[in-house]
Amino acid sequence: MVGPIYIIAVALGTAFSLGFFKKANVKFSFAFMLLAMTFMTFISGQWLYAFLTQQQETIQIFTAGFKPPFSISLQMGFYEAVFLSIINIVGLLSAIYMYDKLKEKGVQMMMVFVLLFMGLNVVVMTRDIFNLFVFLEIASIATAGLIILDKSANAISAGFKYIIATAIISGILLIGIIAVYYYAESLYINDIINSNLSFIKGGAVAVFLILIAIVLELKPFPANGWALDVYEAAHPGIGTIVSAASASAVIFVLTKILPIVGESGYYIIGIIGIITFLGSNLLGLKQNTTNRLLGYSSIGQIGLLLTIIGLTPYLGDKTLFIAFGVLISHALAKAGLFWLSGIINSKNIKGWAAIRRNPHLLVLMGTFIFALVGFPPFPSFFAKWELIMQLANNDKIIWLALILIGSFIEGVYLFRWFGYAIKGENQDLPEFKIQWNKIIPVIIFALGLYAIGYYYSTLTGSAASLNYIPLLFILFLYAIDFLPVYIKNTISIAGIGYYLYTIYPGLEEFNLIFALIFLAGGILTLLAGYTYKGKRQGFYPLVMMMFAGLLGLIEANTTLEFFFAWEIMTIGSYFLIIRGKKSMTHALSYMLFSVGGAYLILAGFGLAHIGQSSYSLDILANVQGYAPIIFTLLAVGFMTKTASIGLHIWLPGAHAEAESDVSPMVSAILLKAGVFGLIVLMLRMGAQSFGSFDIYYALAWIGAITAIMGNMMAAFQEDAKRLLAYSSVGFLGYALFGLALMSHLGWLAAVSLSVIHFMFKTLLFLAIGGVVMRVKTKEMYKMGGLIKKMPFTFISVLMGIIVISGVPPLTGFGGKWILYNAVLDKGWFLPAGAIFFAGIIAFLYCFRLIHTIFLGQLKDEHREVKEAPFWMLLPQYIILGVIMIFSAFPNSLLKPIGEVIMPYFSDGALEWQGQLAVSNFGYWNGELIMYIVGGIFVIVFAWLWFMNRNAQKVKQFNIGYSAERPSLPETTHFAYNFFAPYKKALGFLVSPIISDFWEAVSEGIHAIADKIRRIYDGNAQTYVLHIIAFIVIFYLIAFGGSYGI
Amino acid sequence: MEFKNIGYALLTIFIVLNYGLILQGVVRKIGARVGRRYGIRWYQPYIDIIKNYAKRSTITHGVMFYIAPVFRLTGGIGLLLFMPVIFGSDIFGNFSFAGDLVLVLYFQFFGILGMALGAAESGHPYSAIGVSRGLSQVTSFELPLTLGVIAIAMQYQTLNITEIVAAQQGGFMNWTIITNPFAAIAMLIAFLGAMGRSPFDVVLAPQEIPIGPPTEFQSGLLGVLQLNRAIFPAAKLILFMNLLFGGATNWAELILKTFLIYMWPVFVGTVFPRFRVDQSVRWFLTVPLIIGIIAIILI
Amino acid sequence: MEKFNLENISLVIGILVILIGLWGLLTQKNLIKIIIGFALFDTGIHIVMVSIGYIKNGTAPILDNAVDINNAANAVVDPVPQALVLTAIVIGLGITALMLTYVLKMYQKRKSLEINNYNDLKW
Repeated sequence: MVGPIYIIAVALGTAFSLGFFKKANVKFSFAFMLLAMTFMTFISGQWLYAFLTQQQETIQIFTAGFKPPFSISLQMGFYEAVFLSIINIVGLLSAIYMYDKLKEKGVQMMMVFVLLFMGLNVVVMTRDIFNLFVFLEIASIATAGLIILDKSANAISAGFKYIIATAIISGILLIGIIAVYYYAESLYINDIINSNLSFIKGGAVAVFLILIAIVLELKPFPANGWALDVYEAAHPGIGTIVSAASASAVIFVLTKILPIVGESGYYIIGIIGIITFLGSNLLGLKQNTTNRLLGYSSIGQIGLLLTIIGLTPYLGDKTLFIAFGVLISHALAKAGLFWLSGIINSKNIKGWAAIRRNPHLLVLMGTFIFALVGFPPFPSFFAKWELIMQLANNDKIIWLALILIGSFIEGVYLFRWFGYAIKGENQDLPEFKIQWNKIIPVIIFALGLYAIGYYYSTLTGSAASLNYIPLLFILFLYAIDFLPVYIKNTISIAGIGYYLYTIYPGLEEFNLIFALIFLAGGILTLLAGYTYKGKRQGFYPLVMMMFAGLLGLIEANTTLEFFFAWEIMTIGSYFLIIRGKKSMTHALSYMLFSVGGAYLILAGFGLAHIGQSSYSLDILANVQGYAPIIFTLLAVGFMTKTASIGLHIWLPGAHAEAESDVSPMVSAILLKAGVFGLIVLMLRMGAQSFGSFDIYYALAWIGAITAIMGNMMAAFQEDAKRLLAYSSVGFLGYALFGLALMSHLGWLAAVSLSVIHFMFKTLLFLAIGGVVMRVKTKEMYKMGGLIKKMPFTFISVLMGIIVISGVPPLTGFGGKWILYNAVLDKGWFLPAGAIFFAGIIAFLYCFRLIHTIFLGQLKDEHREVKEAPFWMLLPQYIILGVIMIFSAFPNSLLKPIGEVIMPYFSDGALEWQGQLAVSNFGYWNGELIMYIVGGIFVIVFAWLWFMNRNAQKVKQFNIGYSAERPSLPETTHFAYNFFAPYKKALGFLVSPIISDFWEAVSEGIHAIADKIRRIYDGNAQTYVLHIIAFIVIFYLIAFGGSYGI
Repeated sequence: MEFKNIGYALLTIFIVLNYGLILQGVVRKIGARVGRRYGIRWYQPYIDIIKNYAKRSTITHGVMFYIAPVFRLTGGIGLLLFMPVIFGSDIFGNFSFAGDLVLVLYFQFFGILGMALGAAESGHPYSAIGVSRGLSQVTSFELPLTLGVIAIAMQYQTLNITEIVAAQQGGFMNWTIITNPFAAIAMLIAFLGAMGRSPFDVVLAPQEIPIGPPTEFQSGLLGVLQLNRAIFPAAKLILFMNLLFGGATNWAELILKTFLIYMWPVFVGTVFPRFRVDQSVRWFLTVPLIIGIIAIILI
Repeated sequence: MEKFNLENISLVIGILVILIGLWGLLTQKNLIKIIIGFALFDTGIHIVMVSIGYIKNGTAPILDNAVDINNAANAVVDPVPQALVLTAIVIGLGITALMLTYVLKMYQKRKSLEINNYNDLKW
């Protein structure tokens, strides 16, 4: 094996010999340099391989033939090998990436480049503290040397700030080192550790100076203005190196010197870390400049790492797993994003819309963004999971909360940026070229993230059972994305169908019901996909990702599997939503509510895991404390998906702007994931209260208010799809209310309403989607009289609204009847009154929907409109058939559901006599009602027909409207603001208090961020002042009157 | 269910239809006399129906328009038939075995929605305005009504109308109006809205949007609607009689009680002028709502 | 009089120089003066380093006639800080040179040595 000392030798040798080439042959010089970098990478990689596979022992290399402290010693252990590999790979790929720049600047620059990496390598390996200082200096001088690559005045002034700041920091470090030497009488780190300096008065100060200097090298908030300027102005390749390679090296140094400081150092590091994490991400909110934004994010991630290191005492042997997961995700993703920024070449994040010219780049960018935020299947996901679990286990609730808050804020700006990339205007943006040398490193890192993510999941004990088959299917669909729609659609349907077929025998209880909603629902909605022509690029992998997530929820046995699936589902649905028109802001708010909700769920699972060794979902049934808090966290998390009041503002836009066949997926199917989550939760945790305050009663009220508000908002919409979206909000309010009742009938109502809602909402969204496809508008008042043009669609909508309104004889009535009985059983009459009130309000939007679109006057421009396409109608009529069966034979739906609920809630179950359902209070025979109503209808109709069979059909304007054709036909369609008087009476109830609230929160936080970031006034002297103030403040915190850190 | 039930149902419909028509005529006559006018003949509603059916020309605006009256009348008849009309009578118990009070409450909307759809297809703006007003008003009086119904169902521990009536037998002191006054008052106020007389007659608003939703209906179609206009109010009267006033054990008692109950909206309507929709919506959600909540709290 | 021995005086002087350097670095607006401030700061550190390694009455750590080899450890000052200072001086020189290079470049761009003219990047 090649000794690690050769890394230094090769680097130095290359740097010197490059000097001889001068300008002779730049290409040759570059090849030579690349060879050296490759060799360095090879050495570190080979050691890493040895440590991983051959039980290699850590070795010490003593220079100059003496043992320390009389010589400088290097160490090569597993962790050194890991860090060196990361650093050298970043270096190698950076060199390839910066080929143009390096070539342009010539051999000097290549020398500096190699020296920089030599510095970082030694920094990692050395065990001599002064040697550490020297090579840190070499690295930072080399970095400053590279920054001059860019000729822009900004880059140069940024470099100047950088060198001033690092010079001061290294001065502090030097003072610390000499003081440490004074007390420990050795420069060898192992000796220093043994002399326990922290317990000596002056020694503690010395150690503190070293610690703070190293921390300052990591750019802690707020003493980091100098670094931000470099990130912003320097070549993106340098941003990569500073962010991924240098930071990794210094992080390693920190872990190396922490033993000198002793236990107490962790506390300081933790505090600095969390302040940096929160502060930096907060300020990132206001950034529009790509590279500066990446800078804030980098610093934030390093802050998170510092926090994790600071929390070592609590994380125990999981620390490395967690820290490395965060570090590797950060390093690869940040490098990838910096590199991409060099390709796209847009200073402003809005300019990233240009990336859409090459969808594959968008996939790469998405990979990096999701890895940074900590989504599966990336290592950061598993790291964050483990972190939260350990923190909860050690009762570090505040740390847990702060980390999640910081992560959330980071998600905000990263997804905003991503949104611009996917959906921003890309009309007048400059073209960009993709050079092979710039794209290959990016691809390698993206693939690396997936590979390491998979490797990480095998390391997490409880993640070993994760089901990757659906994800492979997604990959397959991505691979065949060039095929036409009908092939991919068929494959997707077949895939879901086959999977459902294979798992069907193993499903039972609620899993079975929801599996049918998710998967049978998926198949139905995919049928509509045959309507589309062409390729529909990117659609199918995303759809399948959502369904894979939903499926995972069903199959999950452990909290980790559940959370994993939840996040996969979120990713898929996010992309589906953002595919719609004008969907940028809606998709962002969807994502933010999802991420926020996911963190609540994560926190809840974490708390539930306290004192448990297993990760099974059943631990929820047996939590060791915090029960009401766990319940609330999880319930609120799930309610972000069911869009309960307060958490609903993402929904209307997201569902309304989606494509015709996506709306039913996200509205009729996706929302049920929240219901499923609540069921899983409630079944296991049972009744919960804060003192005497019953949480379920609160949930019932939330459900009731959600129902009223959702329905009322629906009544006031002008946009048909938005109306349906609000209707979903309202309907899930009923479901929440039913679940909150915690009784047989309540759950029967909730589950059956979920099934029914799935059916009629799919029906209506497909029907309205078909209409929108044909008339090219969603504004209802621009339509009218379409019954004659689209009669089949009309029948769908008619049946759909009869079901919604709960009017007998269709199946919607069953839900109402059960709910009534459930309420009488339970006794929560006031929220129940509100629920029934909401039910009546539903009439308003139901009528509005069908009237304004299909009835009234046909518009001139719609005279040639055709019926919706066959493939849109087919799923509608399949559903209609099922609805009719359920209506006539309600026990075919309700009896099985009742049996599922029976083991959990047996009191007050319905008694079935054929189709007659008997409850404690009343009875209902769906079949008989159907016959009676049908009979009466037929008789009356026959009578009318007999009396009026020769009725004369008249044309559109032959109405009693002054017996004339109105001059403005659209005015005779009384449609705009249809319920104006109602709005006048009750509109105040739906004033946008909640969106105003969230808006104000967001504005407020952004305003704070904007105020705080003014501390970075761009002046090098201010930055130095920050550094000094930082040292003083943390000196006071560390010593706080007494000595000893 | 046997076939003779159908025969009994037809008998019930026949009786109630005639009663409803006569009631209509008589009330209008009384109203006219109170207003010092001569008024119509008491059998004028019969004449109107015969006239409408006898018309030779009928026009239709489309399928929904044509079947809207069918929906409307089915709604009226269904409402009637799902209730026990005469307490203790097998013959006039009709189809009450198919469903309970909840069915009756929700079946009211069957006709309303069907009618609204048909009226809307005519394309006449007055129809649409009328529907908008009607639905708005329905939502608001439904809330006190629901609260009252819940209170009554809890009082008698059942949703079965027959059982509710049975519990009120044995003298007027057992009637719900006495035993559960707040629920009864809330429901009676809601009843005002349900009957659509002044001050809550803005839906049809004869002088403003000439008769609202049915504007375009004529001849036989209007005839069907007129049949419903006799049956539907009578059915609602019977419902309230059953729930609040002890039901009826024979037709004489039924006629007396429903006539008196009908006088309640008639009197109120004579005294109060018409509300705008927003006014009536708000009003129903103030005093009647509070009374309803009191009824719930007192359970 | 113990306090006024050589090592303490040089230590105090070193710290004073550090502070003067920092003061200059923070208050001067001229780029060259700022660099001079840094150079002072750096020099101060070097003085401190040397004074920390001083052993009372010790002589230069050179093994020649003046030092008894057997008693060398007691007779000479600690050689390590002196070696370190040498290295530190070299590094300081490198940094100072690089700073001056930057100033040169900056001056070429904007014809100004005023630090406030280079505040474009901020927030």
